[in-house]
Amino acid sequence: MKRNIFLVLLAAGALCAVQPALAHHAFAAEYDPAKPVTLNGIVTRMEWANPHGWIYMDTKEKNGAVKHWMIETAAPSQLSRHGLKKADFTDGMTAVVKGYQGKNDPGLANGRTLLLKDGRSFYIGSVGGPNDGAEPH
Amino acid sequence: MPSIVPTFAWLEGLAWTTALRESPYGYPLIETSHVASIVTFAGLVIMMDLRLVNLAFASAPLAQFQRRLFPWQMASFVPSTATGILLFCVDPLRYYRNVFFLAKLVLLALAGLNALAFHLKTYRRAEGWDEDPHVIATARLAGAASLLIWSLTIVSSRLIPNNWFK
Amino acid sequence: MLLPFFEWCEGLAISQVYRDSTYLFPLTQAFHLLAVTIFVGAIVIGDLRLLGWGPVGQSRASIVRNAQRVLLWAGLAVLVTGIPQFTTNALTYERSWLFEFKMCLLAAALLFTATVRQRVAVADEGPLPSWVPKAVGAVSLALWMGVTISGRLITYYG
Repeated sequence: MKRNIFLVLLAAGALCAVQPALAHHAFAAEYDPAKPVTLNGIVTRMEWANPHGWIYMDTKEKNGAVKHWMIETAAPSQLSRHGLKKADFTDGMTAVVKGYQGKNDPGLANGRTLLLKDGRSFYIGSVGGPNDGAEPH
Repeated sequence: MPSIVPTFAWLEGLAWTTALRESPYGYPLIETSHVASIVTFAGLVIMMDLRLVNLAFASAPLAQFQRRLFPWQMASFVPSTATGILLFCVDPLRYYRNVFFLAKLVLLALAGLNALAFHLKTYRRAEGWDEDPHVIATARLAGAASLLIWSLTIVSSRLIPNNWFK
Repeated sequence: MLLPFFEWCEGLAISQVYRDSTYLFPLTQAFHLLAVTIFVGAIVIGDLRLLGWGPVGQSRASIVRNAQRVLLWAGLAVLVTGIPQFTTNALTYERSWLFEFKMCLLAAALLFTATVRQRVAVADEGPLPSWVPKAVGAVSLALWMGVTISGRLITYYG
């Protein structure tokens, strides 16, 4: 009887051993799924990096002021998988990024889709984001 | 003391660290190896600590148990450290300012000191190690300290990706 | 396939609590890793012994039986810290092929550990041919390391 309980608990426990890998740093902890943003601006820099990339973008506010954004993307392996290349980025190019704003940092965002000037669209989201249908199947 | 920032910036700009930072295979391999070897190393250390505090493997003679586990702990410690150094080199400017990474380094140093103190003070190859009350008391203390330090090290490591303190 | 179940998980109250909190999720992740570390330690010490390495002064049965209690408690901790992490992001897991692969590997590892490994470990030292426990130890290590590795790769190859 004790052995059966042990086996069941072992099974259940190990079954949940999946988690840390997927949400390596939780979307929920840093970004707000209730604050979607569409950023239309100039890419000042793109860090093509592991464990995730960063798009630095300047957008114009309604009052004409420039706002600086830091947008998190998936790792290079994931970006390549969705067809994006490092060479697709040039400093000073215009682009549109859709994503979610940071919970505590309004200049931070988690990027989900990227639309380039040539009309190509890419999924750039990190694993663990909200279930908004942006991810291609 | 000269500023460490230019050194880290130079490190980050090197061809091989850049290649690793941008790689679709290399970085995932290094990071995965880091986690797998740490989990193995710390897991075996914790097993030893559980013996030291008499919570598990109580029938195993202390000195022998420790002696047999040690090579395997070292075998997993080496890749843990090597991959850790590589990971640091990929993004040094981010890590050196991260409070959880710094805490991890301090805790690792403490773990090392604890292990060294235990080895120097009580390590003996005599069979009577398990009957000596002084050894038993010291062993229990070292084991408890080790459990605490390594638990904090793992928790701190896992918190590194969080930007709670800017 | 099991989509309604994953949707139900995401809709749970605890999932929302975790989504709303800044500190709860990362702290749970951290203690989860600690629980996994202890779990892996208890598995590896047994597998090393089965391979004829590590604490050879103790019998295979002694090491594996001693490790069992640790495995139980660690497994419980893994469960308690794992459930909220899973339910909060359940639909993301549902879409991942590597997650599915890991689950299959996990099921195999659990089954193997509970049946073959357990029986071989506690069997008397004499009658078993020497290659049997070694093979069992090797397979167990491969399965559990496979679970660890495939889990970590989800972030990169999804």
